[in-house]
Amino acid sequence: METIYLDNAATTPVDPRVVEEMLACMGPAADFANASSVSHGPGRRASARIEAARSAVAALAGAAPEQVVWTSGATEANNLAIFGAARFHRPKGAHIVTSRTEHPSVLDPCRRLEREGFEVSYLRPGPDGIVEPSQIEAALRADTILVSLMHVNNETGVIQDVGEVGRVCRARGVLLHVDAAQSAGKLGLDVIRDRIDLLALTAHKLNGPKGVGALCVRREPRLGLVPLLYGGGQERGLRSGTLPTHQIAGFGAACRIAAAEMTEEAARVTHLRNRLWSALSTLPGILLNGSEHRRAPGMLNVSISGVEGESLLLALSDLAVSSGSACATLRGEPSYVLRALGRSEQLAQGSLRLTLGRYTTADEVERAAMRIRAEVERLRAIAPPMAAAAG
Amino acid sequence: MHADPRYGAEVLRRFRQLPGAGDVTGDEAVIRARADAADDGARVVLSLRTEHGVVVEARFRAYGCPYFIAAASWLTERLRGASRHEVAEWDWREVAEALEIPPSRFGRLITLQDAARAAAAAWPGATATAV
Repeated sequence: METIYLDNAATTPVDPRVVEEMLACMGPAADFANASSVSHGPGRRASARIEAARSAVAALAGAAPEQVVWTSGATEANNLAIFGAARFHRPKGAHIVTSRTEHPSVLDPCRRLEREGFEVSYLRPGPDGIVEPSQIEAALRADTILVSLMHVNNETGVIQDVGEVGRVCRARGVLLHVDAAQSAGKLGLDVIRDRIDLLALTAHKLNGPKGVGALCVRREPRLGLVPLLYGGGQERGLRSGTLPTHQIAGFGAACRIAAAEMTEEAARVTHLRNRLWSALSTLPGILLNGSEHRRAPGMLNVSISGVEGESLLLALSDLAVSSGSACATLRGEPSYVLRALGRSEQLAQGSLRLTLGRYTTADEVERAAMRIRAEVERLRAIAPPMAAAAG
Repeated sequence: MHADPRYGAEVLRRFRQLPGAGDVTGDEAVIRARADAADDGARVVLSLRTEHGVVVEARFRAYGCPYFIAAASWLTERLRGASRHEVAEWDWREVAEALEIPPSRFGRLITLQDAARAAAAAWPGATATAV
């Protein structure tokens, strides 16, 4: 039986139209040259492809092309945003506000900055996964320089009100960084309207290639950042290194496709996700993790009582799903995101993240729901009852 | 179920087919013994039927990781023909070796050993009772 892929929050397959665009930058007869070598035709053609992609990425984010700084992905973009802003703006203060449910590429830099003398406030979301803008506002201090909040949580799919948080931050003169890795191409983004100073993006979550991302950096007024990499001075000195033309062209194509198809695709995937939840929700002991209504189109996260997470994942080895985030799964620990939402260790451990994407079909959703129900019932049938007592 | 290189073939077979899962039915000469892990929620119930001083049938119920479930299944076969003394003396290292269970999961196997000892304690005529 073919594996049903329901792990699109971890990564997505590259759209064949994107592959085509990338191949046009790779062969000897293609636009493979170094985009910095503008003294010759091949270099100028590569540069033109980079700039076309920059415009496409900027358009998806509601930004101007000159705001886009290429990176290797969202992890680097988040690191550049947090380290870059914190170190540049340190003379103004050394306090950062974020949430406990951020991606490790935000939390780990914050912990590193604490060792450099910064103070970080880690806000706890409500049981629905939402960090209220009022919580952010209450956490701001005179020495707060940066707020970092993800748009869509990578485990639960819960959507944060970054527009309102942007208004709060701008009114207080505090920078706002938003990790939009999970929302780009699925939800509308507008860094100018939402007053987002730094926006992290990645290509591989929207059917683009792995290994490329971007940080949209506010230009008016210009926002200072300390770079992470030094070398050739590319990207206005913010990110040195030869630009990977094929990756960037692929990212641009992925953004163009996502922008053109977003409305229709979001409706289709939301419909499928609702069917999946509807088929699973009658299973006794199943709980939806995170807000039911404020969640990204293709994302569903459930905890199932009475089944152990690792056993359920192995039993469902014909489904490509994850328990918690892929990053957390590597550590073999219960999801810290679900624990922050108040789930018990066992419910966090017995969670399934089911994320649908561009190539998910209705038939796959039906089959996946049947398989999950069957394996949960099989594992529950052999489990002793919870209460410890003599047999 | 697809192959998974993280688990050995025998662990996968037992996890998939669950040989020995369930309860020994009947009331006469059936021992039921339970053990719970202190930390991760893993738990097992063994039910054993004895005749003439040895185990003639053994079944299990288990909640835990695939290694734990496979090990419980393996133990039901291992205990057939065992005397009370042999059940009491059974050592978790035996199943760790037989199923090539990684050291990170050894802690859960001790829960199986606890269940075996509880079964020996509940043996007909034994002075102690099951946990």
